[in-house]
Amino acid sequence: MDYYLITEDPINLAEALSMIDDPSTGAQAIFLGTVRNEFEGRASLGLYYDVYPPMAQSQIRKIGEALKEEFDIRHVVIIHRIGELPVGAASVLVAVSAPHREQAFAAAKAGIDRVKQQVPIWKKEHWADGSSQWHDEPEGTKESK
Amino acid sequence: MPSEITVLFFSFAADRMNTREKTYELPQPLSVKEFFQQYLYPSLKEPLESWLFSVNEEWVDPHYALQPGDELAVVPPVSGG
Repeated sequence: MDYYLITEDPINLAEALSMIDDPSTGAQAIFLGTVRNEFEGRASLGLYYDVYPPMAQSQIRKIGEALKEEFDIRHVVIIHRIGELPVGAASVLVAVSAPHREQAFAAAKAGIDRVKQQVPIWKKEHWADGSSQWHDEPEGTKESK
Repeated sequence: MPSEITVLFFSFAADRMNTREKTYELPQPLSVKEFFQQYLYPSLKEPLESWLFSVNEEWVDPHYALQPGDELAVVPPVSGG
């Protein structure tokens, strides 16, 4: 089955794998994005993810449906976690199953690339020194809240 | 005839506007572009091209003519993942 979810809850990898399971497939590709302990060399304690929920939910569905049209894959699961996430937590999952590995890898890569480009979600870095900063704020105060 | 629209802000735009949601009374019909220039700039000082806009959860062009009751979202460059 295909499944798309924006959630504050931890990503359940086993559940995602069960949803893409299919005896007609010989390949499953899973991309799991996790919160890193630094960004551009600066120590970080974690991330806050802001979201526009209805648009984010419809965008990940559109991305998944496009992947199924463009690649020879059987099932796709896209989950993005939002809210406060500590270092090490999984923030995003793209999982696909396909008859063969080439299409599985290609679809998973296209999926995560598009999630990062097209879904209205924004992250704020919580620096180890106590300050915070939104990613991709074009200019201006880099030390908000 | 005056019309009321609701505007949603996210990420650093919400910080700068000090709110995530605000209602605006428009004395005359405006496009998204005109609304941005007249009501949001310079609080949101980045050029129009830096933003994406949606109305009632569908992406729109900045030339879209705002209608009474519309929910406009001002969407900064995304950074998920």
